[in-house]
Amino acid sequence: MILRATPSYQTLSCLGEEQAFYVLLEIMPIPEIKGKRPPLNLCLVLDRSTSMQGDRLQRAKDAASYLIDRLGEDDTFSLVVFSDKAETVLSGRQRPNKGLAKSVVSTIGSWGGTEILQGLLAGLSEIEKCRLPHSINHLILLTDGQTYGDEEGCLEQAEMARQRQISITTLGLGADWNDELLDQIAARSGGTSAYIDSPTKIVEVFRDKIHNLRSVLAHELTLTLRLGKEVKLREAFRVSPYITRLEEQGGVFPLGMLESHKGDVCLIDMLVSPRPAGQHRLIRAEVVGDVPALARQKERAWQEIIVNFTEELIPDQQVPSAIVGALGKLAIFKMQEKALIELERGQTDLATQRLETMATRLINIGEIELARAALLEAGRIAKTGQLSPEGRKKIKYGTRSLSILPREVRHD
Amino acid sequence: MIKCPVCQAEHPENTLFCDECGSYLLGGNQTETDPLAVAEVTWLEREETSEAPVEEEVTAPLGLKLTVPDSGRDVEVPLTKEVNIGRLDPASASFPDIDLTSDGGLEKGVSRRHAKITRRGKEVFIEDLGSINGTFLNRKKLTPYLPQALKSGDELQLGKLILRVSFQ
Repeated sequence: MILRATPSYQTLSCLGEEQAFYVLLEIMPIPEIKGKRPPLNLCLVLDRSTSMQGDRLQRAKDAASYLIDRLGEDDTFSLVVFSDKAETVLSGRQRPNKGLAKSVVSTIGSWGGTEILQGLLAGLSEIEKCRLPHSINHLILLTDGQTYGDEEGCLEQAEMARQRQISITTLGLGADWNDELLDQIAARSGGTSAYIDSPTKIVEVFRDKIHNLRSVLAHELTLTLRLGKEVKLREAFRVSPYITRLEEQGGVFPLGMLESHKGDVCLIDMLVSPRPAGQHRLIRAEVVGDVPALARQKERAWQEIIVNFTEELIPDQQVPSAIVGALGKLAIFKMQEKALIELERGQTDLATQRLETMATRLINIGEIELARAALLEAGRIAKTGQLSPEGRKKIKYGTRSLSILPREVRHD
Repeated sequence: MIKCPVCQAEHPENTLFCDECGSYLLGGNQTETDPLAVAEVTWLEREETSEAPVEEEVTAPLGLKLTVPDSGRDVEVPLTKEVNIGRLDPASASFPDIDLTSDGGLEKGVSRRHAKITRRGKEVFIEDLGSINGTFLNRKKLTPYLPQALKSGDELQLGKLILRVSFQ
């Protein structure tokens, strides 16, 4: 792995007060491991409850067949469907008979309620059965409903999954699922969550997912930050391929998987206390991860940022454009977070105002559809004091995917 | 401490954006795109021929690579959302996904919000966003706000800046 660190400034003025300082961290695979692919141990866990009836279930089944068609020789696939209880429709095995597997998928019908824990337990046990020494173990959960009473159990399973190197993607379909629960299940397992607003997009999401999973170059990635003397960490975010707030767990920031075609980019926001002129080490960042294609565990890469503090006047310094661009989008993401918190506290005026300002910022960067959703919801809050379930998800997941930083290759 | 000029919230020195209202705090002048002389903004004939056309994609492309021949830069970006192309200008809150400033974008007449590329189903589209100096697709000037299908191997020209497109 390669870690590149870009600071907001190379030189800082000696000030009598605290000052902000940012570092952009880019994690990239080394070229020698491009193209090599570890086997995939994948389980799809599909909600088959009554609410999935019709187009939703049919599209989910089409997407399952799509996944089956794209399995490689070394991949293992299993399929679990769940409502009040779970049923393993396809038990995990390598080189499944694709025709037979797809005909089994076509017979799935819908009934019952939604108990996510049942599905998770059955899915995780399938993955456990098929584990290979260097396989990428992954579970995809697709649901359109709320689960009741088993939330804690789901989160415990997600934690345990991470300890057993199984990551979980959670996909919420339509407007009536619990975004906080699905976000947490994904985050605790080192996976990601996403919102699918229409059944017609399920196949598209699965296509991107399988492509990403087949290009995993490193997993179990963690980031460790060692801050210099009197440097305070304000916030840490992943800014690409999507925006999430990084939460420290046991002294490290879990980052999940590194895919070959998307670099992982994080942004670290710090406060630096006053200090005398001279060179000062402000931060040391280290990423550690397993690279299955090379059968290497705990591969490391690290970078240190040393900044020159001066009493003299610094000629005009430019903040690198990648940092400005990332922070600009992050500012919009944070406004969305604040608006949701204000709404929970019943501060509807503040939330309305913030969503309106956010819409202006979104229009400025050309995100017209998202701006429209924000304005619509601002109006709804002003009238009813609430967001629509659909609008809440549109804004939350829309702002999260604002920041896709391009990867650059220079041929000088 | 610095004060946000819009909402008056206070932030430590060197903070770049206001957390409260999203405003850029370092000020600075906006960089307006100048219209190029009309005669200048046509499809630029170049001696260099483009590579053999890539076979048409059967499945939807997952990502996009733009090559800027003038600066020798490749930019890769996934097509999971629409991709905005233009020039970074924090003073006017412009943060395009692909920033062409370092490729001489300002001098070559690239607007801050110039064009966008969107994937819809299996197809990819390019749309000019009412840019000052226009967008050309394979020699043809695009009508602003009218999306046109984009293929791997196509050439784009934004103002006078050339981009080669390939799908991944």
